[in-house]
Amino acid sequence: MKGRLRNSSALWLGLLAVVVLVLPLVVTSRFAIDIFIRVLLFAFIGVAWNLMGGYAKQLSLGHAAYFGLGAYTSTILEIKFGISPWIGMFAGGVVAMLASLPIGALCFRLRGPYFAIATIATAQVLMLLFLKFRDFAWGAEGTTIPNLGSDPLMMQFDAKAAYYYIALALLTAGLVITHRIERSWMGYYLVAIGEDEDAAEAIGVNVQKIKRDVYLISAFLTALAGTFYIQYIYFIDPNTAFSFNISVEAALVSIVGGIGTLWGPVIGTALLEGTSALLQSWLGSSLGGVQLTVYSLILIAVILWRPTGLFGLFTDSYARIVHRKPVGARQAVVDG
Amino acid sequence: MAEALVIRNISKRFGGLRAVQDVSFSVNANETVALIGPNGAGKTTSFNLITGFHRPDSGSITAFGRELVGLRPYDICAHGLARTFQVARPFGGMTVLANVMTGAFLRDKKPDIARARAREAIEFVGLSAKEHTPARDLTTIDQRRLEMARALATEPRLLLLDEVMAGLNPAEIDQAVALVGKLAQRGLTIIIVEHVMRAIMAVARHIVVLDHGQKIAEGSPKEVVANPEVVRAYLGSGYAGAAAHGEMTC
Amino acid sequence: MLETLAQAVINGLLIGGIYALVSIGVTLIFGVVKIVNFAQGEFVMLGMYISFFLATYFGIDPLLSLAVSMPVMFLVGVLLQHFLIRRVLGLGDMPQIFLTFALSLFLMNVALLLFTANYRTVDTPYSDSALYLGPLYFPVAKLIAFVLAMTLSGVLWLFLHATDLGKAMRAAAQKPEVAMLMGINPDRVFCVAVGISLALAGAAGSLLMPFYPASPMAGQTFVLMAFVAVVLGTLGNVKGALIASLMMGVAESLGIQFVGADSGLIVVFLMLLLTLAFRPSGLAGGAMR
Repeated sequence: MKGRLRNSSALWLGLLAVVVLVLPLVVTSRFAIDIFIRVLLFAFIGVAWNLMGGYAKQLSLGHAAYFGLGAYTSTILEIKFGISPWIGMFAGGVVAMLASLPIGALCFRLRGPYFAIATIATAQVLMLLFLKFRDFAWGAEGTTIPNLGSDPLMMQFDAKAAYYYIALALLTAGLVITHRIERSWMGYYLVAIGEDEDAAEAIGVNVQKIKRDVYLISAFLTALAGTFYIQYIYFIDPNTAFSFNISVEAALVSIVGGIGTLWGPVIGTALLEGTSALLQSWLGSSLGGVQLTVYSLILIAVILWRPTGLFGLFTDSYARIVHRKPVGARQAVVDG
Repeated sequence: MAEALVIRNISKRFGGLRAVQDVSFSVNANETVALIGPNGAGKTTSFNLITGFHRPDSGSITAFGRELVGLRPYDICAHGLARTFQVARPFGGMTVLANVMTGAFLRDKKPDIARARAREAIEFVGLSAKEHTPARDLTTIDQRRLEMARALATEPRLLLLDEVMAGLNPAEIDQAVALVGKLAQRGLTIIIVEHVMRAIMAVARHIVVLDHGQKIAEGSPKEVVANPEVVRAYLGSGYAGAAAHGEMTC
Repeated sequence: MLETLAQAVINGLLIGGIYALVSIGVTLIFGVVKIVNFAQGEFVMLGMYISFFLATYFGIDPLLSLAVSMPVMFLVGVLLQHFLIRRVLGLGDMPQIFLTFALSLFLMNVALLLFTANYRTVDTPYSDSALYLGPLYFPVAKLIAFVLAMTLSGVLWLFLHATDLGKAMRAAAQKPEVAMLMGINPDRVFCVAVGISLALAGAAGSLLMPFYPASPMAGQTFVLMAFVAVVLGTLGNVKGALIASLMMGVAESLGIQFVGADSGLIVVFLMLLLTLAFRPSGLAGGAMR
């Protein structure tokens, strides 16, 4: 996308940036800000997943493993050693990267659904292990994080808006990283791997190494989200940290919004979390199962109607409106 | 003349099937060699063995002085061997340009340079007009051109072409033959698997004939075509006495 | 000590029979239609609820309700294949994975909405009785479930090997293009395969009711076991799935008995990971049989 589009998309981007930066100052409802934070956070998790699952089509359903590892690393460092979660966040990322190496070595031998199953299994194993680690990590009961009031150095804030901006920063970082990878040789290699691993190898792509490298990045970013989330809700336990729902949502938002695209995860999160928020306000949060029922219906509809996600819909519409010509693209196509 | 590729006694079984049995031949640098034989003779398997997609059960494959057996396909490609697939395998979700750039990135990771090199390769095969067409929307023949451009973008020293002329009409065959000729002029060593006799006669200096996994003949085109063993392999024993001429397609 | 071991093995085998029904269903769909049905557990769950309601409102014994749950689930399977699965075949891995995955989420949560999370049980005259053989005991409900599960597996085996439709199914599984050339209609074969697979899942659900409580999430444990068994027994291999399921049951039981009450799951996962690490093609390493 060059030339003509560049100016108009820069304009839209600028507008979006202004809106997004100003939002918490304008909207004061705590409920609303909470939703925004959730959207930002899960969009970020989705972006992290998308690098691997969207571009390279390695469909992990076990990213909660890294979310949890990040969360527990920073929490253990904070509560047992008094280390700031800012450092703990980074440490959590490193732990996640290290974990992704053996997990990747194991899982990448498998293709398709069996890769997915293996990733589910590894996340579950971690959850089960942490349920058992009573001395090391509080076991099934988990722990709360002592509320220090306003302590920015320990990532604790009175104003919700602070969390909003941190989440926004994370998402922005994730989008920037994705954008840069997308335009570099690695982006092309990832898509090639996602399309046809053997053909990619025939033209010199070291498939195993690239998969391993993108997994490192994806795991690292996901772990950052884990730390943030725990700091935000002041509580951790294995069921929360390694929750299968997190793994699902990480993948879901990209699938629905547009796999292998920069904005896909953001669109998907906005849609899914927005729907969820609407449902909550209409029906009250007491009806367990409504949210996921709706999510799954949306997912089924998207899969049957537009298997590659809704992003193609937007680019089509955009092209149709802006360029006044029909575009037949079923999905975002990588151009040179 | 230096030998670009030396294949010594390679064999490969798949379960009970002996796909390749004790095959040896060599290819000189800057030579165009045709690998022919009836269907199932082991030609594509040989390509797969050379390019690292399968590992030979025994034997050795040396290219430009380096042993290839045991190397991964990407390493072999980096060493200078590129191939096309019998059924084209383009990256459907990428445009022609993006496909070929992916190949070009092997030699230089900078997108601008890769793009320039990709454009050269695309122009060489005649796909410039379709640079931004998604690969999945190309015709079969254009997909084959794309496959060749993508392989060329990796700047190979030895190119393995697997049945690039299948299904082409005579005019298209002439174009393809001209393309191969130009590649040879650039100094490329080429091994071409083909059934189209006319094309083989036009480009190949040397022919290796396989049948049922074994090498049954080797020599100049004239020698091979007159060889009764070769005729028998293709047409059956009834024709073994006759020499084949002209427009014979197998 | 030996008795404890033997009893644990027996317990494992008995529940393994149920795992077998579920895993055979998964492997059948994978072998024929070439997709992984992430929702298989939910169809077990549906079978459980069907039997629960028949028992509670009509007093029909769960074992007899097989006559209802199996045909109903067969029909559901045919509809599933014809209207949903068929639409995503040939589009690559992702739509298939996420379709059945979304279906799984959907069924679980609709069940949650309709039936609530409360456990539902059925009490039968034989729910608590057991047969004794020396120091070993065989809970009657589980024993019957095991016997019926093995019978159904045997019937399926005969179907696949002795009937034309069954052979057509195996042909379509092994060589779909050739099967089509020979006049075998793939969609019809797929519908039957999915139908049978879901019928087996439904049967598993019905057989479970006398001794296992129904809940919206009940299917999850079974589908997990099933997947491990399918991988272990080699994808698409029915006999392998059966044997592997029995092994899984025993392994889980031994884990619970000798390692700890909550270790069953870890043992299973470890078996999965070990298999994937060292022999991803499964014990048989072959094609659909």
